[in-house]
Amino acid sequence: MNVVVNRLNKLSKKHFFLFVILALSFISSMLFVHHNHSFYERLIAEVIETELVDAAETIDMHNNEDMLFTQQIVAEIKNGEKKGQLIHLTNEFSSSGAYDHEFHTGHELFVSMDAEIADTGELTGTITDVKRDTHILIVAWMFIFILLLVGKKQGLYAIISLIVVAVLLSYALDVYIHTSDLSLLWICSISVILFTVISLLLVGGFNEKTYAAIVATLLGTFSLLLITFLVMWLTSEKGLRYEEMQFLTRPPQMIFMAGVLIGALGAVMDVAITMSSSLFGLYDKNHSISVKALKTSGMEIGKDIMGTMTNILFFAYISGSIPMLVLYLMNASPVGFTLSMNLSLELARALAGGIGIVLTIPIGLYTTIFFVNRKRARL
Amino acid sequence: MNALVLLAAILFLLMVVIGGKKGARSFIALFLNFAVIFLTVFFMLNPYTNPIILTLVACTVISCINLFYINEVNIKTKTAFVSTVITIVLLLFFIVIVTENTMIQGFGEEEIEELSIFSLYIGVDFVKIGAAVIIMSTIGAITDVAISITSPMREIFHHHPDIGRKALFLSGLSIGRDILSTSANTLFFAFFGGYLALLIWFKDLAYSIGQVVNSKVFSAEMITIFSAGIGVALIIPITSWITAYYLVKTREADKPAE
Repeated sequence: MNVVVNRLNKLSKKHFFLFVILALSFISSMLFVHHNHSFYERLIAEVIETELVDAAETIDMHNNEDMLFTQQIVAEIKNGEKKGQLIHLTNEFSSSGAYDHEFHTGHELFVSMDAEIADTGELTGTITDVKRDTHILIVAWMFIFILLLVGKKQGLYAIISLIVVAVLLSYALDVYIHTSDLSLLWICSISVILFTVISLLLVGGFNEKTYAAIVATLLGTFSLLLITFLVMWLTSEKGLRYEEMQFLTRPPQMIFMAGVLIGALGAVMDVAITMSSSLFGLYDKNHSISVKALKTSGMEIGKDIMGTMTNILFFAYISGSIPMLVLYLMNASPVGFTLSMNLSLELARALAGGIGIVLTIPIGLYTTIFFVNRKRARL
Repeated sequence: MNALVLLAAILFLLMVVIGGKKGARSFIALFLNFAVIFLTVFFMLNPYTNPIILTLVACTVISCINLFYINEVNIKTKTAFVSTVITIVLLLFFIVIVTENTMIQGFGEEEIEELSIFSLYIGVDFVKIGAAVIIMSTIGAITDVAISITSPMREIFHHHPDIGRKALFLSGLSIGRDILSTSANTLFFAFFGGYLALLIWFKDLAYSIGQVVNSKVFSAEMITIFSAGIGVALIIPITSWITAYYLVKTREADKPAE
């Protein structure tokens, strides 16, 4: 207990203020998601009783075995006119659970009520979706707490930059959707410039190091875009299977290119700031360091980060296709077809991002040397 | 000419020109990693294997490739490897619990229409596969942060051989903090780039906030982003502690022999 008091005393007012704000927003947001049912137009019901009524084995045409279950659910309606009444639902689920779920007491579900009331006077309905916001919020808070705990100020900046990027991107997409004459690529290019300036200033502050990184990032990203465009044009997009791109409401080529641009941006920024801060670090230690020595060290650093950086993008893109690959292959689709259908765009994105990362190494090197020389000339 | 082949050729050329031998190794590592993912998917097809254990094995192999093949086997990569594996195990527990509770496994209603030709009752456990996806999408970043902490820590230890365990641990933490926001940013942008089509879809179909937040696809993407951030943050204290412990221990083991 004494330790706690001592630590509290040591905290400055600013920290204390931050803690209070954090605790208050945590508590109020948790209270809100647990009691926000009346804000939803869709009917929400909380499961209070489940009963397994049927279990059957099934074998599909590809000899995959699975178990199918049926459960009867009694749930309490949480919003709308019928609030507080019980509703009877039927849920079918499988043990693999690709598109179904087993429900337990306490789960909250979106339901639609049947218009007719059964002879017994019971309300019946069907389950349309699961209410996930409470769980997402808990994970979001865990993310915030762990980042703050480990990263302190840097963790806070990471969270702020995530929020700023998300809000800006959402706004940029709104602009794109409401003004049909502006191309998505133009909007994303402008957003890329904004993202770069904001994120790098947040990470590095206002100094030459950051300016060098910003210039290198922009040069790197746009040369990546140029190369990808050239490749698309030269090969007339052969080998890219847009037909399996999901969630399409617009022409896929533009969405794909914009995705390449934004997806690679983070990695390119990372490379640019690593190059500029380590080269400026060398210059700060020894002001008379020769350009040649800077070049050699820069290339060494570049070689070190190249492999791991390309891997980050590679895994972030490819992993998402695993469930699809499993589904295709279990349904006896040919391997080559499955891979080209599900992975061609992801691979292209990862390869293009890799090109951006590798290109940024010399670009970042020469930009930083330019800024170092400028600083040297001023002294 | 196939666009993928041309892109791969350009990447290979650039990596060799700029990175020399190490660049070539980095490029080969990409293909080895692809082979590992591919093999993992094949093992997942058997309903009697546990996807979680498969993922653990796959992640171990991947971190071997990323750390020992691209770099070399030395103290830096060894401690980075141990820390990566520990973090993956911790993160895996967390992610399995989260995927079970949020029910984000498998496919969302937005995807299901185009999958109508497929049989969905295929006997594999999609909850565990969902957890595997999240952990695999972070593994690249986790090994990256681990190696970025152990190499400067090794340098610090080299320049100050008398440094204490706690001081070394704290310097590791501060190195980690400096790279935390850029690494987290790398992942965030990568995911945002991948989700662009989904975001436009939500906006075009005028989903309400309630519908977006509770939909399976969006929840899955958010959980992936949060778990990735948690993973990148968790690896920092773990790597710093293990490296500090190991380096100081080897020094103490060396002393009596002098």
